[in-house]
Amino acid sequence: MLAEGLELLIDGLARGVILSLFGLGITLVFGLGEILNLLLGVFAVVAVIACSILLGTVPGLVFAGLIAVALVALFALVLDRTVISLVYREEGEDRILLGIFVTLGLSLFFEGLLFIYYPGGVFLDVGVPSITLAGASLTGSSVAVIVAAAVLFGLIYYFFNHTYLGIGTRTVIQDETGAVLCGIPPRKVQAIVFVLSAAIAGVAGVFYALDAEVTPASSFTLTSFAIMVSIVGGVDSISGTVAAGIVLGFIMTIAGALFGSYLATVTLFAAAIAVLIYKPEQIS
Amino acid sequence: MNANNPLSSIRSQLPVIAVFAALLLVPPLFFDPSTTYISRRFITVMTFAIFAMALNIIFGETDQLILYMGGIAALGTYTTVLTAQHFAVSPWLTLFVGAFVSGVFGGLICYVAARRQFTVIVLAIVTFAFQMIIMEVIVGLRDITGGTTGIPFRDLDLPAVESALGIGPFAVQFYVLVGVFAVVFAVYTWLTNSKYGLAFAAIRQDEFAARATGIDVIRLKVFAGFLSTFIIGFVGPFYAQTTGIVIPGLFSFNGVDVLVLIILVLGGLRSRFGPLVGAAIVIYLDNLLSQFGQWRTVTFGLLLTFLFIYFQDGILPMAQTMYEEGGVRDRLAGLRSGE
Repeated sequence: MLAEGLELLIDGLARGVILSLFGLGITLVFGLGEILNLLLGVFAVVAVIACSILLGTVPGLVFAGLIAVALVALFALVLDRTVISLVYREEGEDRILLGIFVTLGLSLFFEGLLFIYYPGGVFLDVGVPSITLAGASLTGSSVAVIVAAAVLFGLIYYFFNHTYLGIGTRTVIQDETGAVLCGIPPRKVQAIVFVLSAAIAGVAGVFYALDAEVTPASSFTLTSFAIMVSIVGGVDSISGTVAAGIVLGFIMTIAGALFGSYLATVTLFAAAIAVLIYKPEQIS
Repeated sequence: MNANNPLSSIRSQLPVIAVFAALLLVPPLFFDPSTTYISRRFITVMTFAIFAMALNIIFGETDQLILYMGGIAALGTYTTVLTAQHFAVSPWLTLFVGAFVSGVFGGLICYVAARRQFTVIVLAIVTFAFQMIIMEVIVGLRDITGGTTGIPFRDLDLPAVESALGIGPFAVQFYVLVGVFAVVFAVYTWLTNSKYGLAFAAIRQDEFAARATGIDVIRLKVFAGFLSTFIIGFVGPFYAQTTGIVIPGLFSFNGVDVLVLIILVLGGLRSRFGPLVGAAIVIYLDNLLSQFGQWRTVTFGLLLTFLFIYFQDGILPMAQTMYEEGGVRDRLAGLRSGE
């Protein structure tokens, strides 16, 4: 019983940190520029596919993963400079609506392309050995994901609290006009954060693919999960999103173990609906 | 213009008469008894035109964006089919039960949204989450819903009418949908020309000002929400009837909501014939692209992006502006007087 509990705890935590990362991808861009980025899942799937292709040519998952994430960041930069810039020209509710539809259209566009060129499922099975602890057999990839995500959270924390750019980003989130008066160019910060969020989604995608198969259709599912986590976390709060991801990861894992996987997904969406009904003013 | 002049009032109704006459001529002209493919495409156009009309009422008129049209259609369809099976009655009766359940559900969501003062994006996300939940529940409760295997369903037919008029089942279904379209069209026309239309316009402009003038904003929003989801829930079973099977895949977000959004924006928000024109174009495109597999998704993605960045006003309103501003009307008038 205890061993079972420990196994669930580790798997739940691993799922939680992955959800946190996806949620951060939404939170950063929405909090900063009010664009609900429905392309997020595409970034994750592209990273996973790139990583699986690179695995054949470069040694080691870490190396392949890093190059894949860099490629996704470049991809995001191109998009930001072109189509996303058109969305940023609008303001207020117009920007929010245009952002939803433009990123929805783009995600369909890229999802279709992925289906055409990489229709199969990708599973980054690198064979992380399982770890036995106190009679529990812990999934190796879960432990690896938790450790790697902890490092990543540390880096993100450092970025937002101790670097000029990170503090500048938080300034723009709080007050765009105030940021301009302090000499921080919002559009530039928005571009950097858009790229950063794509990179985070790429990392989360690679983590996710260690334990599950990823297909082009996964991009839609992953995007919807990310939005729900971000909402439960408060949409513009970075620490709130991380906490929400971890809590939801646990709830989903436990609900999944007790009642079956479909109720796990239902729980996630129901939690988001409950939070929105309770505090609808958080997105305005 | 003199509105009381009977001749001018008939002339203003001419487009409506022409469109419905053309719709009635579709089955004898295009339906081929040897292949059901073409007829089914025409039926799909009518189905999606009605879906888009419903979205036009809730989104176009009251600015409430709902992203669970697929889920609502599924709710209406499964309620209709399952109650018909359970009580061993005709789905023609339970159709109204399905629509009513959908309408009450939709109205309830709109009530909560209006009470809690949801912005357009909050309602969009909440309804999207419901779309995902409805899909998951349908697949999960496979003992009741048949899961992904589905339930065979072809009972919304009228064999007596078929034999009386000597036409096929698809032609009958098409005419039934034209009838539904006509009713929705009439209701929408009446709504926009009545005090409700003015109240909707006031809500769109400034909700608080509308409230200050004594408009019951919550009641109107719930009313629009009930009406739209009732219509979607009503048409859902016909949508399933065309494929002959009720499966969750039929009601997916990409399969219904995305198409309806493209149709409505292409045709033009708050345009009476926009949904029909948009549906005809989109289903024709869909048909054209279906042989190219996923290039269909790629094209629709591109179309959605392009439409929203450059053509938010839609095709019909744009054509109308060109007609009025580009002097087409004057030239036509000149031709007529020069006879």
